[in-house]
Amino acid sequence: MQIPIRIIGITTTFFWIFLIAFFVSAVYSVKDLHFDFGEPQMNVTADNRILFSLPLNITNKGFYSLRSFNLTTQILDAENFVVAKGTTYIPIINKDEAATVTHNVTIDLNALLQHDENFLFNDTELKIYETVGMVIADLIPIQASTNYSMPWGAPLYNFALGQPQYVAANSTHFLVRLPISFENHVFFDVSGNIKIKMYNNANLLLGEAQIFMDVPQQSSYNGFFEFYVSRSGTTDNGYFSVSILTPLFSYENLVVSYGG
Amino acid sequence: MADSKTKLKQLTFKALKATIKGILFYSAYLILWMLFLASLSGLIPNLQQTVETFVVIYIILMIVGEITSGTIFKHFFDAAKALFVICYLILSLKGGIFSVGYQNLSLVVDFRPLIAIVTLLSLFGFAKSIFQAINFLNEKAERLQI
Repeated sequence: MQIPIRIIGITTTFFWIFLIAFFVSAVYSVKDLHFDFGEPQMNVTADNRILFSLPLNITNKGFYSLRSFNLTTQILDAENFVVAKGTTYIPIINKDEAATVTHNVTIDLNALLQHDENFLFNDTELKIYETVGMVIADLIPIQASTNYSMPWGAPLYNFALGQPQYVAANSTHFLVRLPISFENHVFFDVSGNIKIKMYNNANLLLGEAQIFMDVPQQSSYNGFFEFYVSRSGTTDNGYFSVSILTPLFSYENLVVSYGG
Repeated sequence: MADSKTKLKQLTFKALKATIKGILFYSAYLILWMLFLASLSGLIPNLQQTVETFVVIYIILMIVGEITSGTIFKHFFDAAKALFVICYLILSLKGGIFSVGYQNLSLVVDFRPLIAIVTLLSLFGFAKSIFQAINFLNEKAERLQI
């Protein structure tokens, strides 16, 4: 019985030494992992979505390869609706090798506005969850996560249509001047068309107009529509139907009342 | 008189051996701590306390096991040492999923594969202690028969 006991003893001692050496070297290897984040960039994709790109360089100078590296970014609104999600995955980074990838997150503004039109008119905050996961030394999975808030500036903040001013154009028509104003708080320039249709209180279309706007980020826009309406259909009150069409987003459900 | 002198000699030798083993083990821990683990103590709260508690209990079991060598109790303490390693690791690492948070950053390390290996090795140690205990009783019985 002595021999099997000794064999067990020698074997376990050998494996203990091996395990401790492995663990210590694995922990030490983490020090030799370098993550370099490049300058984040923002572009518009061919299908008119906003694309955030973050170049990332990972250098593995440790003793072991790095497996299953993944970086996930989730952007959520106040109601935890997922506005955008992007994942970057690298299956393996061998020791003494480096990998360069670009982490992309795409925001579809139309989908966002379909969920909540407040993003168009009100400044708010977006929650961002970042998760980085990897398997070090082929054995120890690690995951780090953080969350922070990012302010969202509305592209049509403080959007307002003034009261229509009627100028007699001829015996049958008025020239209507309608002021429009808003502030572009979003991080991109808003350029596109705004179209309005004027209805009287009997839902009869009186007239329509369209203007082109090109509003740089963090600036105000003040303009006005001019169009003719028939005198006979004009009432004291009614409503405007507003459509906004830009390459990045379109919105057609805005109704603004006028008069009493 | 000669018998008690031999016993005292044996006990002194055992105590000396246990002390040397304890010092060597603690020195190994100190070297490991200074070289690798000290840098992590800032990131992981209570790391030093957790590791030191483990080392102290392990050394106590080792010393007691050494002092009681030549008796069945040595094997009991060896078995207890093996079980203590398993239990302490599982409890201190909360089942193997170790998480630590700092402000709004959280870090989760999955030690389960490592714990599985440690458990396996400790179970081998436990089995060895059981075999040694059986062997000890076996040899004792043989001696009595003779």
